[in-house]
Amino acid sequence: MIKKDRQRIYSQFDINVILFFLSMIFFIPIVLVFTYIFEVDQLLNINTFMFWLLITNFILMLIGFFSLMIRKEKLIRQVKPTYRVEFFYVILLFSFGILGFIVLYDYMGGNRKYIANILVVVFVASVYALIYLGKKYFKFYYMKKK
Amino acid sequence: MKKRQISDDSLNRIIKYLVITLLGLAIIFIAIQFSDFWTWILNAIKAVIVPVGLSYLVALVVFPIIKYLEKKGIGPRGFSLGIVFVLTAALIFATFKYLGPKITEQITTFFNRDFQTITVYFQTDLRDDFIFGTQIYDQVSSYIADTDIINTTLNQVIPNLISYFTSSLIPMIMTIMLLPILLIFYLLDYEMISERIRSIIPSKHERDYTELGARLNNTIGAYLRGQLSLVVILGFVATIVYRLIGLKYYLIFGVLVGVTNVIPYFGMIIAALPPTIYAMIAGTGPGPVLVLAVNGIMQFFEGNFFQPYIMGKNLSLHPIVVIMSILFFGSLFGAVGIILASPITASIREFFIFIRQRRKRKEIKHDVEVDSS
Repeated sequence: MIKKDRQRIYSQFDINVILFFLSMIFFIPIVLVFTYIFEVDQLLNINTFMFWLLITNFILMLIGFFSLMIRKEKLIRQVKPTYRVEFFYVILLFSFGILGFIVLYDYMGGNRKYIANILVVVFVASVYALIYLGKKYFKFYYMKKK
Repeated sequence: MKKRQISDDSLNRIIKYLVITLLGLAIIFIAIQFSDFWTWILNAIKAVIVPVGLSYLVALVVFPIIKYLEKKGIGPRGFSLGIVFVLTAALIFATFKYLGPKITEQITTFFNRDFQTITVYFQTDLRDDFIFGTQIYDQVSSYIADTDIINTTLNQVIPNLISYFTSSLIPMIMTIMLLPILLIFYLLDYEMISERIRSIIPSKHERDYTELGARLNNTIGAYLRGQLSLVVILGFVATIVYRLIGLKYYLIFGVLVGVTNVIPYFGMIIAALPPTIYAMIAGTGPGPVLVLAVNGIMQFFEGNFFQPYIMGKNLSLHPIVVIMSILFFGSLFGAVGIILASPITASIREFFIFIRQRRKRKEIKHDVEVDSS
């Protein structure tokens, strides 16, 4: 008899879907983070820049979605015991993406006084999210590592 | 009571070791007599070893990328190598073109505006802020003034540093110019060179040495690639975070975090000190507590998320071992020793694991032979 509490094994397709949508969510913040160092906000109109980023994000989303659908059958048959490299990609996405959201907050005229407080709260939430994602989908039991 | 006899075998062995020791001491004694000759030879070897060693280390980082490109059908070797070289050159050029002027501007601004404030703070305001009281501060400062320790140290260190840099400038330029050429030839014939080195080894030990070489290559390669990724990622994250919290010289402090990260454990502490002290003295911008907290968060992320995934199992050394190795190799080879302490220790560990496994394999083989006979 199959145990009820048995954990579901996710295929490469499921993992790629998670990675793809996370990448799309964090796309604008990540670009903003990289441009923040070069002070693009002082060179370009940030609203125009964000508009073009949004359009690029939409186009990338369409291309990615269709390419995922095309490769679905192949990917669905691929299964790994742990998705270590993929999880590292998620860590990178979270690290830069979260910083990017704070850059976005700064660009949108948010009070700089609260940035440190927001950073700490978002940091705690992201650590929890990473541990949860790692355990449930990527089969990476972070807390049991040592 | 019967006196215990020493067997002929043991006696032979003792005599053999004594002769070897004496011969060794004699060779060392003779070598010391010709120290000038040996310095001459050593300098010649050093002139070869440094660029070749550097190209070997860079090749460990670059070769997996070339292999990956070839796996994806981008070849032949010359073409994939060309792509990697052009991209690396473009990256270095872009970094210098865009970040260089900004860093220079921040350094200039710091020396023009804030350096004076910091000097005045240490001369006047620090006395009032000193946590142990003004009396102890006066005692300490009068002691420092009496011993003239600062001037003496500066007078000793600065001429030494200048002479060191001037004497090593030409070899350094030569190495920088030679490195790309050496790398091109090394990477073009990477497999052939490895094969030639292997062919020198006697066939009896060839398998063992090949395995050991591959393991050491993996360990050092993993360390270098991981460390490079960590330097870039952490430098980037720190720069962004410092700018977000409103620290004035975010670029200098961010780059400092990246660069000092090559020293395990101590690196982040060294990098956290300047921005914290600056935040304490400047009065404007974020407070020292916030700067420290932000550094703590980055340290947490680095130690718990980035390091384990980037470095992998090969380099999971115990913190005490790492600290001991930093102290030991740092005192032996200076700054280079501090930076390379972890991979050297990991390689030594890998070497002993290999010896142990080899011995075990031999024992198993021997047991099987005994059983079958």
